[in-house]
Amino acid sequence: MTDRDDLDMLAAEFVLGTLDARERAAVAVRRQSEPDLDEMITAWERRLSALADEVTPVTPDPELYQQIEQHIDALETRLAGADTDSHDKSNVVSLHKRLRRWQWSTALASAAAMVLVAVLIFQPAPEQRPQSFVAVFQQNDQQPAFMLSVDLNNRQMQIRPVTAEPMQGKSYQMWIKADSLGPNPRSLGVLSDNFELERAALHDYDPELLKEATFGISVEPEGGSPTGQPTGPAIHGYLYPVADEAPGPSH
Amino acid sequence: MSEPFSSSTTGRASSGSESPSQPVSPDQISELLKGVAAKDRSAFATLYEATAPKLLGTIIRILNNRGWAEEVVHDTYIKIWRKADQFDATKASAITWMVTIARNGAIDELRKQPASRKAPEDELNQLASKEPNAQSQVENQQTVNRLNLCLEELEKDRRDMVRLAYLNGWSRADLATHFDQPVNTVKTWLHRALKQLKGCLTP
Repeated sequence: MTDRDDLDMLAAEFVLGTLDARERAAVAVRRQSEPDLDEMITAWERRLSALADEVTPVTPDPELYQQIEQHIDALETRLAGADTDSHDKSNVVSLHKRLRRWQWSTALASAAAMVLVAVLIFQPAPEQRPQSFVAVFQQNDQQPAFMLSVDLNNRQMQIRPVTAEPMQGKSYQMWIKADSLGPNPRSLGVLSDNFELERAALHDYDPELLKEATFGISVEPEGGSPTGQPTGPAIHGYLYPVADEAPGPSH
Repeated sequence: MSEPFSSSTTGRASSGSESPSQPVSPDQISELLKGVAAKDRSAFATLYEATAPKLLGTIIRILNNRGWAEEVVHDTYIKIWRKADQFDATKASAITWMVTIARNGAIDELRKQPASRKAPEDELNQLASKEPNAQSQVENQQTVNRLNLCLEELEKDRRDMVRLAYLNGWSRADLATHFDQPVNTVKTWLHRALKQLKGCLTP
């Protein structure tokens, strides 16, 4: 068997899906710099694609599309924010519109009692123009329970309670989720009685990842989730950029 | 709905509601994808409507868990939104390109935390009971028929292996357990089957 045959079989098994996680990751990296391998993979995708024809379609829940739209809103707003010279009020106006839609859809989406959180990320742009991001998670038109501000440069975050109060026998736990972190949220820690997290909570996370990530806060048994995953009611959302004269969340 | 932070209450997937598949031609899907590359949100919405049931069906079959599968569908459409401009119509059909992103996402997820295969017999029955879709969504009927003819030429065990791997996301180890063979034998059988398929499909 020639090396080329071996390579073709590697491509074939990559497409078939039978490689293990490490082998898959290695092939995914190699194909970026090996056009031969990349072409073989594409050829196998074409050869086997007709197999997918026998899959029975399953209609997704309508909420799924709303979530995808919100995610894209967040991505596009961030891009627009990066491209715009003057961070004028129009950003703020569109933000407010989105906030209203979010409140509405979040309220619809879940009947569970939820805590509320606002996330603010302040990020100095290259030309030292401060750029901030905000995401508000709101339920039942109440005030946000928390505001979270993140300084991407030194990876520090600050949590300010707005209406949230310590709960007897319960703890608030902070989570992060991103594509590159795998399917499950990771704990950033349990909030102290003063609503603080350890200073190093974000140190393991790249600023680029933080911009893409979803943050969440869940209500857990005292001391934090016993399972390592959120067990109580939780809320989450994506970040929106706002003008640097960042307004507080409306209402 | 699939909430990233919700507690993991999602059970094994039910087969879900079946969509009355909207017949959208491959050319239309390709056009929609071009629109998405130009950041046209309404093209994206139409593309989602036309293709999401197919992608969710593909992913559910691999992950066997609806909540998990919907998260992968979410990630898949974000990737489609971001990478639509990288789609090359000379290399693949638009729907094949999308199914590939969906399958890669699902298999990567599965390999990261392999669920034990609780009901391999169900999955085998699923294989046996395949019904040809009246409206071929992925490929033209000729391509489907040709691949099926080539698959028929394989020995039954090898044919089942290829389909269980591609459609249900079985790893070499899963196949080795079920077919009661060493992993290396499975690998050899897979390679023989794949080469035979390639030979049969090459004009």
